[in-house]
Amino acid sequence: MSAVAFAQMTQEELRHEILHTWEVARESWVIPLSLGPMDISINKIIWFLWLGTAITFLIMFIGSRLLKERPGAYQVIVEELYGFGRNHLGAQMGEEGRKWFPYTLTLFIFVLVINVIGLFPNSYPVSSNLSFTIPLALFTFVIVQQQGIARNGIGGYLKNWVPGGLPEGILSKLALGPFLFVIEAISRLITQPATLAFRLYANMLAGTLIIYVFLSLILYFGVATALVSVPAAVVFYGFKLFVAVLQAYIFAILSQVYIELAMFGEEAH
Amino acid sequence: MGTVFDFPNTSLIFWQLISFAVLLYLLYRYVYPPIRDRILQRQQQIEQAIDEAERTRAEAQELLSEYRRQIEEARGEGRRILDESRKQGEAQLERAKAEAREESDRIIQRSREEIERERDSALQEIRQEVADMVIQASEQVLGRTVDRDEHDRLISQALDDLDSELASGAGAPGSGR
Repeated sequence: MSAVAFAQMTQEELRHEILHTWEVARESWVIPLSLGPMDISINKIIWFLWLGTAITFLIMFIGSRLLKERPGAYQVIVEELYGFGRNHLGAQMGEEGRKWFPYTLTLFIFVLVINVIGLFPNSYPVSSNLSFTIPLALFTFVIVQQQGIARNGIGGYLKNWVPGGLPEGILSKLALGPFLFVIEAISRLITQPATLAFRLYANMLAGTLIIYVFLSLILYFGVATALVSVPAAVVFYGFKLFVAVLQAYIFAILSQVYIELAMFGEEAH
Repeated sequence: MGTVFDFPNTSLIFWQLISFAVLLYLLYRYVYPPIRDRILQRQQQIEQAIDEAERTRAEAQELLSEYRRQIEEARGEGRRILDESRKQGEAQLERAKAEAREESDRIIQRSREEIERERDSALQEIRQEVADMVIQASEQVLGRTVDRDEHDRLISQALDDLDSELASGAGAPGSGR
């Protein structure tokens, strides 16, 4: 192959090169399985999902089994992670919300591990798949609604959806209140989980895609392009590592905030 | 489909729900409790250690002030002893001086008495000698033996006159002796 041959590549072919990771993942490393009409085949995506799950578990599990009187470096890291969850994720609005930090800490470590795994060549960035982020956001969504209702009762929870401090009067009661209620309902039932899912998905997808785009420029414009696109890809690679940590943190802290917002709706207003 | 907008990917959704649920369960069951206990225990230990350190420090402080007090006491005692001995020494010196002065006074007194006595006895002897010589001279002049007793009486009288004359004549210079 030569630079001339690269240059003959069509845009369609180039697009396939860029999206290669996502296009072939479902057909790679497949173990066909089905549950009734539902396809639950194990493929490359699932393998990497399990790898991320296993690593997340092992990091914490080994850390919890090696606990000693005088902590080593590894134990300090695990304890610091736990302390980070306890002190920085938990209790965003009220002390009672601290009980949910193990959940959000799990989210943080899990998403972080999945994000970082996606940085390795020939891996699959699981978090850049909507079918991963939407169920994850659904967990938070279910907990949010359950906590809101369990702590305030269904009536109290729904009443919290109408912000306090509305102007007095019949018009305000009949028009503004219901209007705000509908907006709040959309926000809580659709926007919150959707943004949670899409933010993670879009950030991780964009980070990976931009690296591929820069590298594929070599295929389209010739080897000389590497002088620009490889350094650029390296820079974006570093940037994506930062984004991987940041997005994991954002996903976790927003989950915690949403949960506590539902719990302490009245006090928060 | 199945590219970047991979939804719904039933197998991923299914396995993701299960994997995350299992992960949550395992972490809640086997990982977080021991870490929490460990951290709580460490916290307790640290608190204990701090308490202990504080107690030890207080003890040390107490000991230190106790030692300081003892040193201060010992210093005061030393000063007191020194003062006392100095005073004693001075007193002794005073006493020794006084004794010496007394002794010398006494010696002087005694010598003075001795001299007095010597002078008296010398005077007595001279008086005897003069009387004898006068008797002898008188015998030679008269050529005969003088009544001894009569003579003695006369001479004694003459000498006594002389004595009283001397005493009245040289009374003031006599006391300066």
